[in-house]
Amino acid sequence: MADPDARDLFPGALEMMVLRLLKLEPMHGYALVQRIQQASRNLLQVEEGSLYPALQRLLKEGLVKAEWGVSATNRRVRIYRLTPAGAKHLTQEMSSFERMFQGINLVLSLRET
Amino acid sequence: MTLLDRLFRRRRLYDDLSEEIRAHLEQRADDLVARGMSRKDALIEARRAFGNVTNIQEQGRDTWQWPTLDSFLRDATFALRQLRRTPALTAIIVTTLAVGIAASSTVFSWTRAILLDPIPGAAQPNDVMALESTTPSGSWTPVSWLDYRDFRRYLRSFDDLAASYPVALALGEAPRSERVRAELVSANFFDVLRVHPALGRFFETQLDDAPGSQPLAIISHGLWQSRWHGDPAVIGQVVEINRFPLTIGGVAPKNFHGSLPGEDVQLWVPATMVGQIMPTVSSLLHDRGWRTFRVLARVATGHTQRAAADEVRRFGTFMSNVNGERSTGMSAMLLPIWRSHWGVQDGLRAPLMVLLGACALVLIVVCANMATLLLTRATARRRELALRMALGAPRARLLRQLLTEASILALAGAFLGLVCTFWFTRAFHLFVPQFAAPSLLDPHVDGAVVGFTIALACAVTLLAGIAPALHGSRERYDDALRDGARFSAGTHATRLRGFFVVAEMALAVIALVSAGLFYDSVARTREVAPGFTTEGVAIGSVSLTLAGYDSAYADDFLQRVAERVAREPGIRAVSYTDYVPLSLGSGSWEDLQIEGYAPAANENMKTTRAAIGPGYFHALGIPLLDGRDFRFDDDSSHTPVMIVSEAFAHHFLDGRTPLGVRVRGWGKWFTIVGVAKDVKTFRLTEPATPYFYVPIRQVYRPEYGYTFVARGPAATVDQTVRAIEHGVAAIDPSVPVYGAMPLTDYIDAPLRGPQTAARLLALLAAVSLVLAAIGLYGVVSYSVTQRAKEIGLRVAFGARKADVVRVVGGQAAVLLAFGLVIGLAGALALGRLVASLLFGVSPADLSIFAAACVTMILITIAAVLLPARRAMSVDPATVLRGD
Repeated sequence: MADPDARDLFPGALEMMVLRLLKLEPMHGYALVQRIQQASRNLLQVEEGSLYPALQRLLKEGLVKAEWGVSATNRRVRIYRLTPAGAKHLTQEMSSFERMFQGINLVLSLRET
Repeated sequence: MTLLDRLFRRRRLYDDLSEEIRAHLEQRADDLVARGMSRKDALIEARRAFGNVTNIQEQGRDTWQWPTLDSFLRDATFALRQLRRTPALTAIIVTTLAVGIAASSTVFSWTRAILLDPIPGAAQPNDVMALESTTPSGSWTPVSWLDYRDFRRYLRSFDDLAASYPVALALGEAPRSERVRAELVSANFFDVLRVHPALGRFFETQLDDAPGSQPLAIISHGLWQSRWHGDPAVIGQVVEINRFPLTIGGVAPKNFHGSLPGEDVQLWVPATMVGQIMPTVSSLLHDRGWRTFRVLARVATGHTQRAAADEVRRFGTFMSNVNGERSTGMSAMLLPIWRSHWGVQDGLRAPLMVLLGACALVLIVVCANMATLLLTRATARRRELALRMALGAPRARLLRQLLTEASILALAGAFLGLVCTFWFTRAFHLFVPQFAAPSLLDPHVDGAVVGFTIALACAVTLLAGIAPALHGSRERYDDALRDGARFSAGTHATRLRGFFVVAEMALAVIALVSAGLFYDSVARTREVAPGFTTEGVAIGSVSLTLAGYDSAYADDFLQRVAERVAREPGIRAVSYTDYVPLSLGSGSWEDLQIEGYAPAANENMKTTRAAIGPGYFHALGIPLLDGRDFRFDDDSSHTPVMIVSEAFAHHFLDGRTPLGVRVRGWGKWFTIVGVAKDVKTFRLTEPATPYFYVPIRQVYRPEYGYTFVARGPAATVDQTVRAIEHGVAAIDPSVPVYGAMPLTDYIDAPLRGPQTAARLLALLAAVSLVLAAIGLYGVVSYSVTQRAKEIGLRVAFGARKADVVRVVGGQAAVLLAFGLVIGLAGALALGRLVASLLFGVSPADLSIFAAACVTMILITIAAVLLPARRAMSVDPATVLRGD
């Protein structure tokens, strides 16, 4: 399912994406994986399992909350929800990421003279 | 989320995670099945897409765990690798730590044996205090049996009071008897100390009123093992003690060594048996003025020690009023055991305290040094740390890593130190020579000492580890990475290291000055002339109570031995005495009344004395300034006579002719027949004090311990020692001679403590000096590396070598100046504190302070030499291009 040319993520990227998706709506782990693959058009190489340690870290930091609920397919799943702290963290991370991305872009887009 | 919450929730969190992962896999499989895959393939594919389930579960769990043993081990392995990479640094830190910790633990073990745990084996020992009588002049004296009985009966602040009279007794039948350290005790002695027998029973407590009614002896565990090989049938056996049969009633527990701090008592006999085992002193049970007991009082629960002390003082004064002339002006006081006067702790307290202080000082220097070195390394590892932080390592994690390193160093140092301590504690006999206190227990390394060492290691970790760790982990990684190539340290680190080096140098100055002061003090003490000849003089003691002699036979025996020894080849003079000058003990005194002398109000007329045989002054080379020596016929059938010291004549008989003046003591009048030159009696450092001599045959002596004094050629003093032993054996082979040795060795004993203390201080000063030099070297050498570019520039612009040296030396000079000023001020303050322990040297002795300064300057130059040479060889072309 992943594109053979897909790239590995840098540390913190997965967390950032999870927070972004949870900002849209609360969802469970499997749904998150599907949404990431969908939204990134399979450009990113995300091992499905690696989502869970990331979720645990976010839980521990208090950036997300989780509670047991029932999925659309009537299965018992844990549904994650963004906390206010998580929302704040997301804003910070995104702006810092954007600056870095900009910086990298500027360097890469230098024309040869 | 509180820690506790998390602890309980962790289990559930793990279950949640497993269930969640299972749900994920099933959902994925369902989707795949919906797309037409077989169920079996779908499950396999779902797992493949998910990755390693176990691994991921573990990762998830790790998030919730605190530092586990596992991660500590990881930290430790990493730290070990780091330490191995800098072996010289590691070796310096561990060795200096080991020295500092070993010295501290050793002195602690000595202090513990003597001061902190004065009565091992007693339960709730902190409630047990010493009760002492006080004389009108305020000095202490032992308590008489009758006073003790009254204290016990009327004092309300105590559960109970016990009395003990430390003596030496002969155990076993005459020719093969052994001399054992014993206590004559009140029957409740063991109950007051709350000690329970290992075997048999202790004394019946209600029998204190009936002299002679309890012919029992309690033996120590050690004696039981050595003499009876631990045979339980020992209970009920009859054993001769001072030739009187006593039944062994019980064995004391293994960890109980009697009530004398640091001493190993082996035998306890009821004080009420004194009439049977020491007939000559039996009246001490009836004579209120015969003060020989040490009293131990257990403060009752609900009473404070202060209130108890108040009651003792009030009641002591009240009692002296009631008891009239026997106790006029006297009172009583209550002291913690470690401050009480009876026992070795009295003389060892001050030197031990000085040593403890010095050890603490050195340990602080060691810590400061370790902190400097770790800080240097933390700075060198700046990039590594910054990188790790950039990669997401939390600050707490780095802090832990750095502290782990510090604690590994501290533990290694503590371990090595402890090993040394086991070995060092034996050096105790350098401090207190064995012959001076033969029954002294060897201090040993026990749980408390090990605990102390571990506590030291923890303190070292915190003291020396925290600053570098905080510093290292507070590094801003972006800064460090940006200028990392140039590798410069922040001003913060530089300042911190400067601070530590100044502290080390200041402490080294203090250590140097104190070592100098104590060394000088001991040297000055040794220069003091004792006032008697020690060269060629040998001594040897006998205890005639042990041999069961009565007084008439004892007098005869002493004279016959003296005559016999005098016939040995080379012997020039022989005599005997009941007190050898400069012994570690305190000697005996008598309350005097002097014709024509009116004592001032509250003047203490208790004057110290020696009972001697004829020829004593000749044997010890003490000049007689006036009158005559004692003769053999100065005995009970002739007029009592006395020889007084110069100071005695000066103080009591100011201007009068001493000869013929009458002095009253022991209930009779003595006539002064001679004046002897002053000698040092107790300590070389004492001023001339009134002292007097009486003929042994004319006074009543409770204890028959005598020392023969023989003078021969200096070269053959060992022969003279043997001559005494042969002489005694020739007259009565059943009398054992103990303590036979050259007099020079004997009077050296009181000097050993201070001398060993001075030597240890010197050693500790040397250690702190080396450490200060290492610290300084580290800072200067580091700054040369750091400023290589600047130095290169200067050289490029024409600076000469001298200028370069000035740049490098300037920094060292500033550190030295700060260190010296603070150190000298500290040494002055400390000197004032220890002034009372010094002899013949001012605590502000200019030459010692100057010597300390010069030493520090030399050390500074030595430490700067290498870095300065490196600085001079800086090649501007290389360093300026280097970046």
